[in-house]
Amino acid sequence: MSRDTLSRAAPVAPGRPAPRRRPRRATRTEARNARAAACFVLPFLAVFCLCFLAPIVYALHQSLYTTERTGPLGLGGREHEAFAGLANYAQALSDGRFLAGFGRVLLFGAVQIPLMLVLATALALLLESAGARAVTFFRSAFFLPYGVPGVIASILWGFLYVPGISPLVKIAGALGWDVDFLSRGSVLWAIANIVVWQFTGYNMLVLIAQLKAVPGELYEAARIDGANAWQVARHIKLPLIRPALVLTTVFSIIGTLQLFAEPMVLRPLASSIDSGFTPNLHAYSEAFVGNNQHVAAAEAVLLALVACGLSFGFLRLVGGRAKDRG
Amino acid sequence: MTRLPARARTPRRPARARTTQPPVRYRIITASLLTVAALYFLTPVYWLIVSTTKNSADLFGTFGFWFSAHPHPLDHLADVLTYDHGIYLRWFANSLLYAGIGAVCATLLSAAAGYALAKFPFRGREAVFNVVLAGVLIPGTALALPLYFLFSSMGLADTYWAVLIPSTVSPFGVYLCRIYAAAAVPDSLLEAARIDGAGEARIFGGLGLRLMTPALVTVFLFQFVHIWNNYFLPLVMLSDSDLYPIQLGLTSWTGYADRQPVLYQYTVGGAFLSVLPLMVLMTVLQRYWRTGLTEGSVKA
Amino acid sequence: MTSNPMHRRTVLGGAAALAAGFALAGCGDSGDGDGRAPRERKKGQKINLTFWSWVPGIDKPVDLWNRKNPEVQVKVEKVSAVNGEQYAKMHAAVKAGNPPDLGQIEFPVIPSFLLDNGLLDLAPLGAARHKDKFFGWQWQQSVFGKGIYAVPQASGPMGLFVRQDLFDEWGVRTPTTWDEYEAAAKAVRRKGAWIETFAPTNGNRFSGLAWQAGAKWYANHGDTWIVHIDDEPTRRVADYWESLVKQKLVKTIPDRQNAWYKDLQTGAIAAWVGASWGDALLVGNAPGTKGRWRAAPLPQWQAGGKDFANWGGSTTAVFAKASYPKDALDFAVWLNTDPESIALLIDGGYGFPSAKKGYSTADLDVDKAFFGGQAYSKIFADAGAHVDTSWQWGPGVDTLYQRLGDAFTDALADGSSFRSALTKVQGQTLADLKGKGLKVESGG
Repeated sequence: MSRDTLSRAAPVAPGRPAPRRRPRRATRTEARNARAAACFVLPFLAVFCLCFLAPIVYALHQSLYTTERTGPLGLGGREHEAFAGLANYAQALSDGRFLAGFGRVLLFGAVQIPLMLVLATALALLLESAGARAVTFFRSAFFLPYGVPGVIASILWGFLYVPGISPLVKIAGALGWDVDFLSRGSVLWAIANIVVWQFTGYNMLVLIAQLKAVPGELYEAARIDGANAWQVARHIKLPLIRPALVLTTVFSIIGTLQLFAEPMVLRPLASSIDSGFTPNLHAYSEAFVGNNQHVAAAEAVLLALVACGLSFGFLRLVGGRAKDRG
Repeated sequence: MTRLPARARTPRRPARARTTQPPVRYRIITASLLTVAALYFLTPVYWLIVSTTKNSADLFGTFGFWFSAHPHPLDHLADVLTYDHGIYLRWFANSLLYAGIGAVCATLLSAAAGYALAKFPFRGREAVFNVVLAGVLIPGTALALPLYFLFSSMGLADTYWAVLIPSTVSPFGVYLCRIYAAAAVPDSLLEAARIDGAGEARIFGGLGLRLMTPALVTVFLFQFVHIWNNYFLPLVMLSDSDLYPIQLGLTSWTGYADRQPVLYQYTVGGAFLSVLPLMVLMTVLQRYWRTGLTEGSVKA
Repeated sequence: MTSNPMHRRTVLGGAAALAAGFALAGCGDSGDGDGRAPRERKKGQKINLTFWSWVPGIDKPVDLWNRKNPEVQVKVEKVSAVNGEQYAKMHAAVKAGNPPDLGQIEFPVIPSFLLDNGLLDLAPLGAARHKDKFFGWQWQQSVFGKGIYAVPQASGPMGLFVRQDLFDEWGVRTPTTWDEYEAAAKAVRRKGAWIETFAPTNGNRFSGLAWQAGAKWYANHGDTWIVHIDDEPTRRVADYWESLVKQKLVKTIPDRQNAWYKDLQTGAIAAWVGASWGDALLVGNAPGTKGRWRAAPLPQWQAGGKDFANWGGSTTAVFAKASYPKDALDFAVWLNTDPESIALLIDGGYGFPSAKKGYSTADLDVDKAFFGGQAYSKIFADAGAHVDTSWQWGPGVDTLYQRLGDAFTDALADGSSFRSALTKVQGQTLADLKGKGLKVESGG
């Protein structure tokens, strides 16, 4: 994704008026192209601007202002917006709970994403290996949870976590193992489990698709050369699914930073989940519970920046490595 | 899971044996690993099925992995459907509406935009594409809040539009369509059609869309699930429960459940009913998930 | 990689252009210059009012009103009450300029809405003439300065629910003081059960307990708010519960959630410091314990004391942008004073009416059988008559609850003292209110 995108990046700084010196002969086709392209692109761009760019601009604007109030006790008086510079960012960045939330999702991502992708890869390889039977059944079983929305998955797992109700806790207890999925130390991994449960099958499917795209003769040739199943997986299959792994990793990184529904649903069940458990939850609390639109906007902007930064960083990392190799 | 290859390697047999049939030991290991994984993925589903047969008291009072002594699944499900003048069905219909219409519009918009980005070398093309790409990377939840204020000022908050309009945008769809169109729609074919005197709109409608079909199905499915699963946007946008999609409705039930405990049982029953069709859909349409997605990653 | 900065510029360039568009469109500010000016209904004109509420049974009295008042139709929109979501929605709607006409708002959060200019001052509409229909202190909960901002609906005088059968079996007497409560907790613990849970995230109940102990969290002096979350009475309450937690005499699971209901059903938890509206919760969620519960007065700090407090309780408020304020007020008053409406609200299990007339205390014993025939409402009525009425709420209570919940959660995790949690919350609350542009001072 990265190299493709980056190599095609426009040499002209966009957003400025176009310089008026073009070779004459190209003008007619270009004009025709531009007209047609505009008709095709504009409907999308219009909605995109409304739903993506405008909110970002609005959030940027909000994040630079603050509310000032006058009137007795501040109640029933006038309020107006005043320019605050970067004060909201300073406040967000000095809020230990917000930063802790960031640390938490980063840790979450660092563990959950590799775990999920290793699991997805293993399942994909197993299903595509010659030894597998009832492939359709297993593939469907693994993919099934993807059809369960995050909120409902959290409600389900919530019942399987809460001590006293959870049959899992009961079984563990009968085996002499005292578990509390919702304790402070484990609740993050309880959430990680929900995400793994939901998305492993999906990622597995993407990987399987990639494996299937490889001509079968390649495997056959390798086998005839005396490669065993492990060698085929390690030296042929894994390199082949690398692009798919990159794609799923990027999506997982974004998904991780968005973590919201799961902690939100589990929060009433677990006093170990505080209002700043994830940055998203913190921003939501700031905006809606604390009624601090401006700080919340700053937090939303920071969140978006980190998400973009991490995703691009990752792409750059793998892009760079690929170049070294290739 | 990762231990498998190490074990699979241990039986050092001649290579030719493997070309025909893998050793039994290897097949057993594979089967047992797959079974363990299937148990993991299906346990919560099994719990859901079991719990649908229970009332609220049994839900808390009996062992979660076994059926209640007096199962009444059909009565319970009927209760779910009729509670509060059948609001559940309305939520279900809303979800279908948001996800269905939203995904169709998103697919068409993405197709047109991706097609143009792939096939028309116009000025600022890469700039547009990069902005769209950045859209893929921005967490949607970060946008929902400002979007709410924006829509409120336009009088759109708490209407069907508030959820529908944002659902029609799929930057990922544009990305996928561009990649796919670049590979699957040959320039020569377009030129031939142009020489035949076909207009650009007709070329796109007749030729482009047809050639891009696999990618479009993927975009549609992807966006459908994305909208169906989206919780944050409707949560922020909607307050009239007549407009709720199913998930918001179900969480609102859990919210009142301490006053009306029967709602716990309705929530579980409602979850079961809502998950059922989607799971069937997932399973049946599996193969459509593959095509476009791999195209996207293979080409990139 | 050279195109990376380029890319960022692309985004920012587009953003700048859009920002300009924004300024022109003027969507940046929630001014009050939109078209929703308050109007007077003409005779015979049909109007519709929207009413946001989360109370499950509220539809019934509203349906009754709609039958009786064909010209003023009220539509209930249920808003979710999980994690205070209903207020989140209302605040956002106020900010966005499209709130409903009426809303269900609990006593503690009224000042937060005044802060956004969210509620309509009902005084100019002559609301004061309804004052005598309600209990004085509850009416006062929505009076700020000369303004009247809501019509009270119900209160939640606090009391103690106990599993009498278990207490009898174990030879434990129902505690009347907090010292006895601790002793009872030990006795219950020796039998393998727990007396209670101290839910760290339940700031609502904690404020009630502080209220009982004589705390004054908010006061005002001139145009300055005096905030004192860590005052002496509150510290005493914090110390008390911290000691119970450290002695492992109480659980620390969240209350009113699955695990807690399960514990109530099985008798693993044998008592609950709750409020008058708790009867419906117990009946609904622990049906198997029918006949075994009794209500008792809230334990006292001093033997023979009569200090009580309130947990919960809410109002019907009219939002500042209501299209037909007069009709909205009429509906709010009717909803909370009409005997038929009150009867329906009581049926729905919705707490102690704020209205003085139109029902009898005995009407409130909806689930007498569940309490073994006890006329339990008397206990709460008595508590209600002795609630310290000088307690005042301030702005930002929802944030305060969250801060308290977070601080107690931290304290439970790292073993630090509840007192230090209070000090932390006190500091945060001062900063929060200052951040909202208010004049604040620390009390004490």
